[in-house]
Amino acid sequence: MPEIIKNLKKDIKIEFRNRSALNLALAFALISTLTISLIIGGVPLEPKKEAIILWLIIFFSAISSLAYTFIREEEKKTILFLRLNFSAESVYFSKLIFNIFFFFIIQIIVAIFYVFFRQLEIQSLNLFILGLLGGGLALASTITILGAMVAKANGQSSLLAVISFPLLLPVLWMAVSSTTKSLTPNPFSSNPVFYNEIYFLLAFSGIMIAGSFIFFKFIWSSQ
Amino acid sequence: MKIIKTVYVLIPLNIFLALKWAPPVRGLGDLSRILFFHVPWAWVSLLAFLIAALYSLIYLFDKKNKFYSLEKKSYNSAFLGIIFTILTIVSGSCWAKLSWGSFWNWDPRETSIVVLLLIYIAYFSLLSSMPDSEKKHKIGAIYLILAIIIAPFFMFVIPRIYPSLHPDPIINSKKEIFLDNKIKITLAISIVSFTFLYFYLLELINKKKN
Repeated sequence: MPEIIKNLKKDIKIEFRNRSALNLALAFALISTLTISLIIGGVPLEPKKEAIILWLIIFFSAISSLAYTFIREEEKKTILFLRLNFSAESVYFSKLIFNIFFFFIIQIIVAIFYVFFRQLEIQSLNLFILGLLGGGLALASTITILGAMVAKANGQSSLLAVISFPLLLPVLWMAVSSTTKSLTPNPFSSNPVFYNEIYFLLAFSGIMIAGSFIFFKFIWSSQ
Repeated sequence: MKIIKTVYVLIPLNIFLALKWAPPVRGLGDLSRILFFHVPWAWVSLLAFLIAALYSLIYLFDKKNKFYSLEKKSYNSAFLGIIFTILTIVSGSCWAKLSWGSFWNWDPRETSIVVLLLIYIAYFSLLSSMPDSEKKHKIGAIYLILAIIIAPFFMFVIPRIYPSLHPDPIINSKKEIFLDNKIKITLAISIVSFTFLYFYLLELINKKKN
């Protein structure tokens, strides 16, 4: 635990020292949200189409920002230092926690801008927020481990999109489904079944984190 | 494994049974004969994926380095897997065009096989981005295992997203097989022969690459 906190503090300190990753990620998220909103203009779309566009922006924001934590260690040659001083498990968890919070910030900004510019009427705010958090957790947990792989493979960002898309398809389907539901008037919103997609996203994240925890040490130790 | 060599008999026998002996399915005519190739190819593409992931798992946890060549075998299995996946998609699309009117219908099984193709493409892209080393093999192995770990989620989601057009003769709610006996026998022989063909080709590629 102290190792995780130490490493997490280090990542946060580095991030806030130059804020390059955060600035770039936020700029990408903002520009893509604004560009898409401006292209669509004031034309109203069905809730499903709105949800698809919102999640595509979120997905590509994740791809462009989340692999950076590992790629930075490879680029700055600090990976050997980390390997000598921290266990693989603590490095994995610190990067995962960093990515989850980092991505939540990006998601909140994307969602606020998208809802504002598209004038979306959210019918179930709880489901909308839970869908964003659940989907964000699943995206962050998957892209953290895949980012570690890409960092070892010379850090090509296009490679991350290629390898993450097949694994993230169920997450995107369920996240779109939950956001669509939250934008559609539904008399059954108090029924627990209404939140099925959230359970799915949490289960997916749990399995992905457990699998990553088991296999991360092999990525970390490979030369 | 001498039994695998029976493939030399089984494949011609399978072709004969599929094209001559088995009767066409009522309403579909000779078109239904695609079934005797499409179903086993789909099965082999999945089997190749499972075996590639299993080899990867053994390779990763083999601390004494007893099975150092397993990662190459895993790669070879995935290579055969992608070929059979493409064959499955092409044969399935022909079937879809002739019986449902369009090459692509977003049926759950069509979608599942495309997801499998995407996973294979991603796996090969990942491997091709790294020079040949232990690192490359380990990372490729982990990717395949992660893909297998989340496979149940696909099984859960895809039927809920896309309504099915596929006939459901093998697994259905009544657990009965609604097929003519000759078709059942031909299909069974077909599945066995293409499974043997897969193992035979895998052995050949493994030997050649060693």
